[in-house]
Amino acid sequence: MDDPLMLARVQFALTAGSHFLFVALTLGLATLVALMQTVATLRGGRRGAAVESRMVRFWGQLYVINYAVGIVTGLVMELQLGLNWAGMSRVTGGVFGAPLALETIGAFFIESTFLGLWIFGWDRLNRWVHLGAIWVVTLTAYASAYFVLVANGWMQRPVGFELVGGEARLTDVGALLTNPTALLAFGHVLFGGLLTAGFFMAGVSGWHLLRRTAEVEFFRRSMRVGLVTVLVALYPVVMFGGVQFRYLQPTKGGGGDADAAVAEFTARFGPDEYMAPGLAGAGEAVMVMMWSLMHLVAIVALVKVWFGRWLVRGRVFHVVMIVSVPLPYVAMLAGWVFREVGRQPWAVYGVLKTEDALSDVGSGTLTVSFAAFTVLFAVLVAVNVWLLARFARRGPEGASLGAAPPAEPAAPVMSPTF
Amino acid sequence: MEFLAVVLLAVFVGGYLVLAGADIGVGMLLPWLGRRQDERRLVIASFAPFFLANEVWLVASVGLVAGAFPGLEHDLVEALYPVVAVLLIGWVVRDMGLWLRGRVDAVAWRGGCDAAVTAGSWALALAWGSLLGSLLWSGSGGGLNAGSVLGLPLALLFAWHGAGFARWRLPVGLAGRVARVPGRYAVSGAVMALVPVAAGVRVPWSEVAADETSLALTAVGTVVLLPVLAAGQALVWWTFRGRVESPSYL
Repeated sequence: MDDPLMLARVQFALTAGSHFLFVALTLGLATLVALMQTVATLRGGRRGAAVESRMVRFWGQLYVINYAVGIVTGLVMELQLGLNWAGMSRVTGGVFGAPLALETIGAFFIESTFLGLWIFGWDRLNRWVHLGAIWVVTLTAYASAYFVLVANGWMQRPVGFELVGGEARLTDVGALLTNPTALLAFGHVLFGGLLTAGFFMAGVSGWHLLRRTAEVEFFRRSMRVGLVTVLVALYPVVMFGGVQFRYLQPTKGGGGDADAAVAEFTARFGPDEYMAPGLAGAGEAVMVMMWSLMHLVAIVALVKVWFGRWLVRGRVFHVVMIVSVPLPYVAMLAGWVFREVGRQPWAVYGVLKTEDALSDVGSGTLTVSFAAFTVLFAVLVAVNVWLLARFARRGPEGASLGAAPPAEPAAPVMSPTF
Repeated sequence: MEFLAVVLLAVFVGGYLVLAGADIGVGMLLPWLGRRQDERRLVIASFAPFFLANEVWLVASVGLVAGAFPGLEHDLVEALYPVVAVLLIGWVVRDMGLWLRGRVDAVAWRGGCDAAVTAGSWALALAWGSLLGSLLWSGSGGGLNAGSVLGLPLALLFAWHGAGFARWRLPVGLAGRVARVPGRYAVSGAVMALVPVAAGVRVPWSEVAADETSLALTAVGTVVLLPVLAAGQALVWWTFRGRVESPSYL
């Protein structure tokens, strides 16, 4: 791989792909934690509130672990745009920069500030203020996803701009912010995140119920929350996905439109391979297949969800829920491959080619940064999976989020009995 | 509008250097402030509730540059590629050390995380020194220059600022370890706030600014949001005021 373009593309694909693994769970799980905390806070000291508070702490800790690793991958991704893809900011910075600026200032800034309040202020804040903090975190996470998708949607379908001397200038803010490729993708991602979190909760709960750990009531409730989330999110995700096909680029879809588009591009930009690579179609197929599998699992969920005792029993059911955890992840990565690879050879469709967006840095520098960041990200993903599994296995007793500060030096931890 | 955006950028970069500068400095001094692992956990707890709310100032600064001064993004990030890469890796290593330290109860794990926090903080501070030095030397980026090396000692500013923070926030016993370092948080903070002003004075802002619509959208949006951001920050500082007495989640 001594082709700098390929190197930079693979690097960005790995960065964005691993970042999105974290994003998907973060978006969905934040919502579920906020809802669970709302129920726990509303019930106050009444029956069931103790279990619900523990659910907030347990699932909240898994959310925080995932967020912490996800945040650094996001930082790297945002700066990598500047590092490797300087042509992007040179040609399209005038348009592309504004949504990214609003994302960092209006969404991420507030999200991170309030997440710190939520994590560290557990026993310091009034419980209503504490509840407010997690809702601010959740809603700003949505805002963050929206602004990032405004930028990405503009790359798919550039609107509201004019080219002046090779640089894109924003002419219509409204068109930029209501671009259907941004709004529909936002709905798609939002429900995809819920689907991910639903399967994640159901899978972890299935593991505990299968192993007959002590926390039957805790994981019966969690299993129900997970299954209901799956049922709620399954159809919206496919609807928001399907409507986007109306705005599919002609060179991605094929047919007569594609020939016309290729002819037009060839006339304007010279000959090139303007049809989307075959990998894009493979991504689409995998995504659809994963959704069908999730649909099958959801039918089981639809039968089971009504009766508490049915959720506790059924070894096959528990195993199915455990092995289903990766399904939404695979679907999402495949969906991004379909969306991003399918846009090639363009960085901004019909405006800026990917090869022209590449920074003017030597392939030596690119190789070094590729190696450094790939190793770093592999470690981060591995650590995240390992920590999530570790704390998911430990169960609610192992949650240190919101627990009273431990005495130092900590006593040796009792090894779990399962 | 351009003037407004320049002022906003100075506020955000200054905010980052004053606030996050202190927790980076404490991270640099971690082995000296905390001699045992339990002491180091307390040292980390002194800035734990703030560090998330601190580093967002930099992310917002990068956002502002991308929205209002895309030309500067190119000058800084692309031309100073090695420095920015070190900055980024140092940041990630440091944050991972912080987040993961309390998650596994083993001496070797905590030792590794402490090392990551210290090394990451030094890398971050040195990269900042180099970046600011390059800007001060040339006035507008333009690649590595003598300032990139001459700026490295600026990293000590972070350590100095961190010492002031530690004196103010740590329990009396641990705070005494930096008693010999002259200076206070307010003094070093003021110096940190002036650094970006000095570094930005010679940048040809008009040449790097975005077009009018984009600039206005970014600047006005930021001004509208500023009170909300300030309120969030104030709530954090008010909630976690006073000397730290016990370890935190980290």
